[in-house]
Parts: sequence; structure tokens; C-alpha cells
Amino acid sequence: MSIPHLRVRDLTVTGDGGRLLLSVNALDIAPGSRIGIRGPSGAGKSTLLHAIAGLVRAASGAVRWGEADLAAMNDAERARFRREHVGLIFQDFLLFEELSAAGNAALAAAFSASSRRGAIRAGADAMLGHLGLSDHSKRSVSTFSGGERQRVAVSRALAGDPAIILADEPTASLDRAAADRLIDDLAKLASDRGKTLVAVSHDAALHARMDRVLDVVDGVLVAGA
Amino acid sequence: MNRRTLLIGVGAGLVATRAAAEEVVNMRDLYNKDLSFSDYAKARAGQRIAASGFMAPPLKAESSFFVLTKKPMAVCPFCDTEADWPDDILAIYTKRTVEVIAFNVQIVVRGALELGTWTDPELGFVSRVRLTDATYERA
Amino acid sequence: MRAFFDLWDQVPVALQDVLLMCVLLAPAVVAGIVVMRGYRPLQLVGAMLWRYRWTNALFVALIAVSVGIGVGLIAQERGLRKGTARAAEKFDLVVSAPGSEVQMLLAAVYLQPVDVPLIDGPTWEKIATHENVALAAPIAYGDSFGASPIIGTTAPFVTHLAGELAGGRMFASLNEAVAGARAPLGVGDTFTPAHGIGDSAESDAHAGHSLTVVGRMPATGSPWDKAILVPVESVWSVHGLASGHAPGDDRIGPPFDPAFFPGTPAVLVRADQLWANYALRSEFTSERTMAFFPGAVLASLHAMLGDVRQVMSVMAVLTQVLVAAGVLAGLVVLTRLYARRLALLRALGAPDRFVFAVVWCYAAALISAGAVLGVAVGLLAVEAISRVVTARTDILVEASLAWPEFHLVAGFVSLTVLLALLPAFNAVSRNIITDLRG
Repeated sequence: MSIPHLRVRDLTVTGDGGRLLLSVNALDIAPGSRIGIRGPSGAGKSTLLHAIAGLVRAASGAVRWGEADLAAMNDAERARFRREHVGLIFQDFLLFEELSAAGNAALAAAFSASSRRGAIRAGADAMLGHLGLSDHSKRSVSTFSGGERQRVAVSRALAGDPAIILADEPTASLDRAAADRLIDDLAKLASDRGKTLVAVSHDAALHARMDRVLDVVDGVLVAGA
Repeated sequence: MNRRTLLIGVGAGLVATRAAAEEVVNMRDLYNKDLSFSDYAKARAGQRIAASGFMAPPLKAESSFFVLTKKPMAVCPFCDTEADWPDDILAIYTKRTVEVIAFNVQIVVRGALELGTWTDPELGFVSRVRLTDATYERA
Repeated sequence: MRAFFDLWDQVPVALQDVLLMCVLLAPAVVAGIVVMRGYRPLQLVGAMLWRYRWTNALFVALIAVSVGIGVGLIAQERGLRKGTARAAEKFDLVVSAPGSEVQMLLAAVYLQPVDVPLIDGPTWEKIATHENVALAAPIAYGDSFGASPIIGTTAPFVTHLAGELAGGRMFASLNEAVAGARAPLGVGDTFTPAHGIGDSAESDAHAGHSLTVVGRMPATGSPWDKAILVPVESVWSVHGLASGHAPGDDRIGPPFDPAFFPGTPAVLVRADQLWANYALRSEFTSERTMAFFPGAVLASLHAMLGDVRQVMSVMAVLTQVLVAAGVLAGLVVLTRLYARRLALLRALGAPDRFVFAVVWCYAAALISAGAVLGVAVGLLAVEAISRVVTARTDILVEASLAWPEFHLVAGFVSLTVLLALLPAFNAVSRNIITDLRG
């Protein structure tokens, strides 16, 4: 699939009891661009990321990646969309400690269509190699440093060659050196491979490498465009 | 949940249907007056038939053999004489170890009819008519 | 339906057992195939099992113990029945003075003596000379040597009981004896019988009478293995009674002269004709004598045991179900431990059915491992209990696991893996975002 254009229109996301968590009038993200999202804690940054990942259901409005409107999809359809088009990276890596680096990176092979399994495994190995972990791919990740773990997580996100990379505070659990390396890796991967990258972060170093930085304050996207 | 309970659970109603529908052989029908085998018996030799009667107290525990009697085999000083025996009993060799049913409860036995004198090599008993590979249940 | 049952009746027993096993396992296998179709969850399941290995091991152990107890109980009960039946199989028909059949069964077959009136000479004569009787032998218990009961009988009975002697020869005079396989005397040993049995035995009552072991029986797996068999005339003689034969006649063994027959507490009777056993039982059930089939008495005891077994089986199944229910409740808690990883899988786009498959496989792995281990536990338990029972009763109990136990385990596995669908449903109905935050 070619990299889709993201168009968010009149989006609202509500929490327990109908409380409004997020509202976005309009957000457009061009294919291949790198977007940072910042804002105070609890302002709704992560909710925005979850909304464009299809992890939360929109209460109203539209979240369109190209022709696909996540707001109109059911859970299974959104899961399928994520499986096929989205790579996710989290603050605390969320690896399976008992699996090797390769096992973690190729995790999606376990539940993807059999026709894609080979490609995912190959993609995982290639990513681990690209990020300098090929010598350790058989090692259990429980022995890895934070930086190494996040690189495994990045390999996992990119193993299936998704068009969209979404990252939630990817550097918050890393020391400065590891964080800088990760930012560099992510930015390069996105631009070299033409991925759309959306990263929620407090990290100014990350913001510096983005094409554009959006602010979310009190559940409202401020600097939308 | 042993096998029996299970099968009873699965097939209780069905068994009742089966018992009602099939032909149950009368032991006396297997013999002529002179105690030779009847045509009826000869025609069914080797086939599986059903016979009803009572389980005599088995001679051995944990065996796969018992005697099917026409009348409940209580300790009856008047009727247990040799004269009554040949056409009133049927030797039953069961498929599985016999689980004893009281001598006064009517049962239906199904098994392959075997004719001709045969000595049980293990128990040493001689029988003229047998049902082998038999199963039984309360009638 | 009748056609089905008739067909089923014709299926050989072994095949019936195999088929039943397949039917019992089928729900588990079908569920596994349906749940796992198209996915490769096993590596993840392995990782989950390993992550909380001690908790998982505890769950497996709980299941194993409950399965083991259930399986062991059933196997042990069957082993006991078979053991007691084998110990009694040589005793076709026993005639004694009227009394309790069960007591006489214990006395004559299992050598737990009881004081009863004796069968006298004329009665013996009637039994021994009956046209349908192939073998009649006195079983004269009462004396002992150490823990070994001494039984007065005849040479044909020894052969009937044990077949060819394992060593030496048959007793041929008043002072000779044949020892059971586990009696503490070897061929050539000499001993003096004590009057009575056990702690109250008077060891000097028969002083001056000494007997020599001249033969040894092979093992029979019954209390008779501990016994010492002597000519019944020897028992009479040490008690100062008539010899069973006219004065001057020093023969041993039958026929006995009814006028000089001192009596015997029990007589073993064997008829070759099937019907004759029933006829003899009927004939010797009189005011003066009681006749019974030890096998029939045992079978009715077994039937009673069978009722107890039914209750025990129900209890065993109940315990297993309770343990399984506990385990499944625990699984719901355990899946919370995994909630974050499961939410991650769903965030990455894993279909619910995959997450469902992971949780179910995980539960099924615990249950299956517990069941397999439970069979091993049952095997060991049965082995140990059998040894104790054999040592205490001298009745050889060889309990081992057989099809009924495997059917029970298969049924348990199928039932619980189907129940394990519940925690799996529970796992996929949780909120992804909440779980993802941990």
C-alpha cells in the first residue's frame, strides 16, 4: 500500500462516563512526514496517538488514513489495519522478556497471514542488523540494556514494513546517549524509507528532528494544520 | 465418571428403545424336546442374539463368565436338580469382567450364540450352549 | 440407534477402549484445532509458561495431585478386587457348619481363622462320595508356626492349589509338611506346631510333635503362600484325635473312614460339571451344613465395594472439578499478570482470536501437563499402596493403570480445556488501553 495521507476531522474521544478526553477539529499529515506531539502530562497526547492508531474508538468525527476511516471501523477491522499498516513503539518497550531479540522483533509472524510470515521474519532480522543487534539476535532480551531493548522494539515495529510508525514517548526510559541514538535511528529510518512518523514526546531533541511539532493542551489540538 | 456411568448417561434413553424393539430369545426355544438343538438355534448359531433371564451367583469373582438362569436362582431346595438344568441355563462369556447383578433382577444378555459341547480351559466347566462376547444390562 | 449399539457390541474390547478414548479426547483436540487454526501461538505460550514458571508449576502440581488421587483410587480398588479374586479362584465350593459365609470365606480362603463347629464323619462321607464331586478336601486350620498358619489337608488339594511343587516332594507321612512359597521354612527344616494362631498361640501345647518340611509350593499370590500344609491326619494326631482311618491303618490321605473321622472346620469341594456346582451347593445347604461359592460371596462383597467405588469416583471427579475450577479461577488471575503483554499483542494488531488462542493454549498446556503428571502420580501411588496392602494381607495386589483411568483422565482434560475457554474469553474482553498502561 502506498503511504496514505492522514486526515482527521471533527474528532472527539470520550472516556469513562462520556467525559471528553480529546477533540481535534482538523489534522492533516502528509505522507512521509515526521510529526512530534507535545503537551503537558494528561493533556491527551497519548489519546491522540491512540486515536490515529485506531487503539481507541472515536466518539465522533473521522480518522482517515487514505480511504480507510478508523472511526467507522469495528475492533477487528482496526486491529487488521494496525497489523498491516502501523508500527507501534512504546515508552517501556513492552518486550516479551523470555523471547530472544529475533523472537520479539518477529512477534507479528505468530498472528499474521501465513503468506506474510516469511517477510516479517526477514524484515525483523534485517532491522536488527540495521540497528546493530544482529550479533545478539538469539539472546534473551532480558539481558539487554534499555537502548538495546528499544532498538528491538523499533525492529518489531518495522519488521512488517508498515507505512506508519507511531511512537509513544520512545526516549523517556532511555539515558541521553541511548535516547539520541534512538532519535537518530528513528528519524533516518522514517526519511530513508519514506514512512510517516508520529511521535508523542517531551524530548526536545526528538522535536528538533521532526518536520513539525503539534501541541495538545487540555484535550485540544492547538497547533493543528 | 467411569465408563459405565458415561455410557449410561449418553445412552440411557436409547437403550430403552433398543430393548423394546428387539427379539428376545426364550431359552427353551433353543432345544427340541429330546434336548437336541432346535432349528431355531441352528439357524442362529454364530449370530448375535438377545436372551433375557437372571444372573446366577457367579462361581468366581472377577471372571468373565456367568450362568444365565430362566428363573431367579435363589437357594431353592425343590428346583435345583439336574433335570432342570440343561434347557434352563445358558453359559455366558462376557466381553468385560462381570459386574454382579443380584440374582433376582431380570437382565437382557446379547452375545454370539455358540452351539456344541465345549470345555472351558480355565474354569474346567462344560457347556453345550453359550453366548460369547456378551454384554448385559438390567431389563 | 439399535443398529449402532449392535455394531458397538461387536467391536473388540480393545478397540472399544481406544475408540472411547478418542471420543473423550475429541472435544479437546477439536477445540485446539479450531482455536489455533492459522496461528503460531506456541512460542509465545512457551514464553508465558516460563515467565511465571513457579506459579505455573504449582498449578500443574495441584492438577496432578487431584488427577493422581482419582486415578489411583479407581486403579487400587480394581487391583484389590482382582487380587482377592485371584486368591480365591481355587476355591470353587466350600462346605462348613452353618454360620457366616463371610467369616468362613475369611477363614478357609484367606486363612483368618474363626472357631466353628466341625463337619463330622458321616457328612464328610456324603460329600466325598457324592457322584458329582471331583475333589473334596478338608481344610483343617487352627495350629500355627510363628506367623504361618498350619493347615491340615490332603495331597490332591496341595496340587489343586499350587500345581507342581516348586521344590522337594509331597508329604507322605504324618511328620511331613509342604511349605508355602513365603513360609519361613525351607525343605529339610523341622518345626513344632503351636496350638492356636497369633499372640495367643500356645507354643508348648504340642511339644514332642515335630514335623519336617519336605516340599515347597510355588507362589500363588494368596495368604496360602505363608501357610504350612500338612496331612490332615497330622493335625488330628497332634490333638490326640482319631487318625481318620481304622486302627492299624497307617495310610495318610483319603478315603477316610467316617467312623474314625474327627472332623474338619471346612471342606473344599470341586465339581467338573458346571450345573453340579449349583446342585451341590443346594444339596449341602442343610440344617447341618452350609455350602457357598467363595467367588459369589466375594463378588457380592465386590459389588458392595463397587457401590463405594461409585461414591469414591463421584468424589474423585468432584475434587478434580473443584481443583480445575480453582485452577481456572487462578488462570483468570494469572491472565492479569499477562494482561499488559496480551494488550500489547492486541495493540500490535493481533486478532482477538489469536490472543484467545494464546490464553487457551496456555491453560490447555497447564491442564495437559497436570493430567500427564497426574497419571504418573497415580502410578506411583498405586505402586506404593499395593505394596503395603500385599505386605499386610498376603494377598498379592498388582494394581496398575488401565483404560478406565485413562478414560477418566481424557474426560477430565476435555472438560477442563473446554472450561478454559472462559478465562480466554475473559482475556480478550479487557480494555486494551487500560491494560497497556499496566
